[in-house]
Amino acid sequence: MDFSQVELTSDQLVFEKEIRELISENWTPNLSHIAVDHDRMPKPVRMEMAKRGWIHPDLAPDAGGAGLGEIELEVITNLFDEYYIPANVSSSLLIPTLEKFGSQWLKENVLPGIRTGELTTCLGYSEPDNGSDMAAATTRAVQDGDTWVINGQKMWTTWGNESDYVFLLTRTGAVEEKHRTLTMFLVPMNTPGVDATPVWILGGGRTNVTFYSDVTISDNYRIGPVNDGWSVMSEPLATEHGAGVVTEGVAPVNGSMGAGFSRVLQKLVDGAIQWAASRTMADGRSRLEDPLVRAALAEAMLDLEMCWNAEGELGKPMSAEALAKQADKLADMAAPEGLLDFGVDGSIAAGIIASERQHAPGTAVYGGTTEIYRNNLARRLGLPRPY
Amino acid sequence: MTLVLRRNDYTLTDEQDQLVDMLRSLFSEQSAIEVVRAAEPLGFDQNLWATVQNNGLLTISVPESAGGDGGGLVELALAGIEVGRTAAPVPLIDHVVTMRLLAALKGAGVALDALDWDAALSGDLIVSMAPISTWELGAQLVPSGAVAKAVVAFKDGSIILMTRETNAPQAQNEGCAPVAWWSPSDADVRTATLLDGDLAAGIWELAHREWRIATAASIVGLMAISSEIARSYALDRKAFGVTIAKFQAISHQLADIHMDVVTARNMTIKAAWLTENEPAFRPELAAMSMAHATRAALRSTAKAVHIHGGMGITNEADISLFYRKVSSWALVGGGIRRDLDDIGNAIDRRAQELAASALISSNR
Repeated sequence: MDFSQVELTSDQLVFEKEIRELISENWTPNLSHIAVDHDRMPKPVRMEMAKRGWIHPDLAPDAGGAGLGEIELEVITNLFDEYYIPANVSSSLLIPTLEKFGSQWLKENVLPGIRTGELTTCLGYSEPDNGSDMAAATTRAVQDGDTWVINGQKMWTTWGNESDYVFLLTRTGAVEEKHRTLTMFLVPMNTPGVDATPVWILGGGRTNVTFYSDVTISDNYRIGPVNDGWSVMSEPLATEHGAGVVTEGVAPVNGSMGAGFSRVLQKLVDGAIQWAASRTMADGRSRLEDPLVRAALAEAMLDLEMCWNAEGELGKPMSAEALAKQADKLADMAAPEGLLDFGVDGSIAAGIIASERQHAPGTAVYGGTTEIYRNNLARRLGLPRPY
Repeated sequence: MTLVLRRNDYTLTDEQDQLVDMLRSLFSEQSAIEVVRAAEPLGFDQNLWATVQNNGLLTISVPESAGGDGGGLVELALAGIEVGRTAAPVPLIDHVVTMRLLAALKGAGVALDALDWDAALSGDLIVSMAPISTWELGAQLVPSGAVAKAVVAFKDGSIILMTRETNAPQAQNEGCAPVAWWSPSDADVRTATLLDGDLAAGIWELAHREWRIATAASIVGLMAISSEIARSYALDRKAFGVTIAKFQAISHQLADIHMDVVTARNMTIKAAWLTENEPAFRPELAAMSMAHATRAALRSTAKAVHIHGGMGITNEADISLFYRKVSSWALVGGGIRRDLDDIGNAIDRRAQELAASALISSNR
């Protein structure tokens, strides 16, 4: 057991300084942009990071990383949070899959760029008629000699408009065969016939519907055996849902999968405190002295501490739901001016209370709904599969 | 500007693991639910207390300088969880927290003439403390007050010791906790002032934090066992031809209960470690661990009762006993409202930090 402060070594202090310099040269924080857990790292920052092996910094230097330890990873995560930099790159989930199942051609031509972060990916799982039930996919891939022709439609292809590749789940047999006739591909997004149409979500974020019309690609882009896509897909899914294996050291939440949401909740609490400090009551005292305001803020801080003590997979539903609940409550507390958009006369805290109340419900949906996480948790408790 | 990173490691040492194993087997053997029921309505079992005494459990977390074994608040919290897992009818937590408070006073040079120290150390004389006296003067409900003959309280800026020759009568309550009214002005109570001034306020404040953390731990134990009982019932009970655990309406509630148990446990042992090792760092963590354990236990045991259907609300069901215990154990310290009030100190600290930072801005 150890919750003590980490004394950074001189090398680590230099590392922190380097990153601060890199950020200030390439990035201006947008304080009204609170959905940093959802959005992708801006390209200028990403390319600078990629040069230094800092996108997947824990990988060895000859594997596209920088061979950095968990302290340095924490430094990166915390600085990105401090400067409001959207941190998602997401390919870390795919790297082990490509290493295990990718064709020789993919390993030689694409994997190195994905490792450094110069190339980016998005996920093509959900469809209009199936979301959590991924084995019902109907996007069809038909083999034609050495090529495949793909037709279909995917939903929630977040970053589909700015990614180099999509990790695509396709049907290569009868739909009734469920998970036994699925095949995975890594499809270049610039292939003719691939089209990403924006879907704007609450709070101002973007995701996409992607359409695949007679998309013709080489067999080189296939990942794993034909009709064995379920095993291939399970690899990153297991990583995504199991990212919270307990780690020792500085992991801020034992590797909680909800850490990103907890950081947003901290910003929200800060914004609410700032609202209270900026308002006065009829008797001239600060709203910070209003017992009702103090009770609301204290409960929000309590929820935040609770989230920092959730570990692994259960951190996801816990943090997402705490964020949504507190976004609601703090918006009510700071009403009405807390609901004004950034820049409007009288708005406070860069409008983040208003924008996060819009954005927060999504956190309980994207990356797997909280119900799916509860199913997983129930299985780990030894309960039978749902009826 | 330099980042501040903190470790976040909840793993127990081998010694702590052994302590947990020892306590779990002792209480599961000696504090079976029949023992807990037979100890009602007082909520105290003299035989079990003797077992606790004879196994040296009362001195584990008392400083060596005061005659104890030198264990810390983390060990006390771990003991609290194990006490809670069987709802053991012994005032182990209240007694040991109070002994730690008395040891701190001793260490500050306070003479404890009004107290038979050796009797208190052995547990022949049960001591307790009055958490409500942090806020309120005069007559108040004291945890373990019906079995203790000495109670430490805070009054008008001083730490006082109240003693009685006979036990105070229990104030009957749903959870059958040995709670009693104590008042310095009671004719049966003798009062001695032990310490006043800033030193007294500091020692009391830390002791009150320890009481919250150790009590939160015992509530975590109540929740943990309730979670296991509800899970077993859901796996056993059939409806519509299948075990009810197959229904998401049930399994998701069990998942929620589990999340509450894990977070409350983690918060409590983290608060214990930091209070022990860095008492000046985030003092609100004690109130937070108490507030979360309380709200989580109240809602989780209610869910656990509900999962049992009609059986859950019968007096003979094990789960209804734990449901009753939670209300008395969790609320005797004054309830969540007072915890939130103390968490409020963190608001002022954060407001100052934010005022010094340029990152969040307002345009009015």
